Amino acid sequence: MTGNFLRHTLLVAGKDLRIEGRSREVLYTMAFSAALVVLVFSFALSNAADPAQGPIVAAGVLWAATLLTGTVALGRVLDRERENEAIRALLLSPVPRSAIYAGKLIAVFLLMLAVEVAVVVLVSVLFSTEVFAHPGYLALVLMLGTLGFAATGVVFSAALLRSRSRDALLGALLFPIVIPALLAASRATACMFDPLAPDLQPVLFWLRFLFATDVVYIALGLWLFEPVVCGD
Amino acid sequence: MPAPKSTRFLAACAAAFALLLLACLAIGAAPPEATMGVVQKIFYFHVPSAWLLMLSALVSAGGSLAYLFRGSERGDRVALAAAELGVLFGLCVLVSGPLWAKAAWGAYWQWEARLTSSLLLWLMMVAYLLARRYGGPAARRLAAALALFAAVDIPLVYFSVRFFRSIHPQTTVVSTLGPGMRGAFWLSLAAFTGLWFVLLSVRLAAEKAQAEIVELEILLEQAEEEKS
Amino acid sequence: MTQVALAYGFIWLAVFGYVFLVGRRLARLQAELDDLRRRIERQKP
Repeated sequence: MTGNFLRHTLLVAGKDLRIEGRSREVLYTMAFSAALVVLVFSFALSNAADPAQGPIVAAGVLWAATLLTGTVALGRVLDRERENEAIRALLLSPVPRSAIYAGKLIAVFLLMLAVEVAVVVLVSVLFSTEVFAHPGYLALVLMLGTLGFAATGVVFSAALLRSRSRDALLGALLFPIVIPALLAASRATACMFDPLAPDLQPVLFWLRFLFATDVVYIALGLWLFEPVVCGD
Repeated sequence: MPAPKSTRFLAACAAAFALLLLACLAIGAAPPEATMGVVQKIFYFHVPSAWLLMLSALVSAGGSLAYLFRGSERGDRVALAAAELGVLFGLCVLVSGPLWAKAAWGAYWQWEARLTSSLLLWLMMVAYLLARRYGGPAARRLAAALALFAAVDIPLVYFSVRFFRSIHPQTTVVSTLGPGMRGAFWLSLAAFTGLWFVLLSVRLAAEKAQAEIVELEILLEQAEEEKS
Repeated sequence: MTQVALAYGFIWLAVFGYVFLVGRRLARLQAELDDLRRRIERQKP
């Protein structure tokens, strides 16, 4: 049973990633708009160059760019299912609905991570911050933060599939829910970017907090995806 | 013959407001707090509003649960009515809180765990109403999911003052109130809660009437078609 | 003192405003419902 679930999950994720691998449409547009967000912040904040605030600003920009471009990824990965009513075929197939959710989650997660690597490099250049002081923790916080965002995002993006005002609504509905995760992620990131931080105790605290929210969000997502997306 | 609905609602509303007025008198008579003085009196309205914000979110999540998994139309109506009340009382919390904070902390707003989580809970209730209204064909199920995700934030609001180092007063402050203050506080809490239930039932009646209107319109159309 | 007055004033106003709006809405819906019922009654042979 679990082996079956895993197989179906990988099937759905693999399908999305294969389509993406052929056109690279989402990846390129996301990476470009993420770079633009970082640049916009860098222009807007260029005069506020208080070095003590540097790590906080860099972490904030990193996560703001992730969140804003993540919404683009969510929109596009599920839009593909709307074209030609592919979603109906997917829902009619014998794949369990929770496996569809998990597959979409993995696809969005990997796409966002790929873009985040570029964003991290860009932030380190433009905000001259010690970004790679703790590479292990950075990787962990990026993964946990992105996972929490994608876990909620897939549910709402799928539910909004047939709505006309979807692009306007997705952010409005999603952001209040994911802000706790964003807050934890950017606090942890700011602490590990700060060369003057006395210890990494806050990082550990926020990572644990992130882990807990991720568990709750994914459990809710797996549980709610079917009734929300497939009802009547 | 029972009194028409609107009359009964009017009576219930009047009773709730009378209780609230009574609470106000008790609050006026309660002794001022030793260190903060008169400003502390905001507490008597602030805490019940906060409690109602959490109650609304909880009831909204419960109704959404019944709607999503049992298809309960009533659950859906309860969820909508509670979310609307959550927005109303959340607004009361978010206005009265900063007014107190300005006097106690010297600033209207601090980025602090309880303030942030309460603001987020309120934003989620607003998002619920937005989703209901503009969410397209799946609006009701979408909003239900939102209410359930919002429920995660309720314990965060309640326990935030314990989990995080916080300058917001602790939940235990209620049990340390002086004898003159305690009565006023519980009376105010009871008045607010009573008002909440009255408002919920009025809002539910409106929702039910709306559903009935839709039904009757279809019926009327059928009857007209048959005739012609 | 002004803060206390502002806080209490705002909450009273907000709650009253809400009651007013919901009450008016309920009255309007009730009227519409009565009207529909009457029209259906008239359709019946």
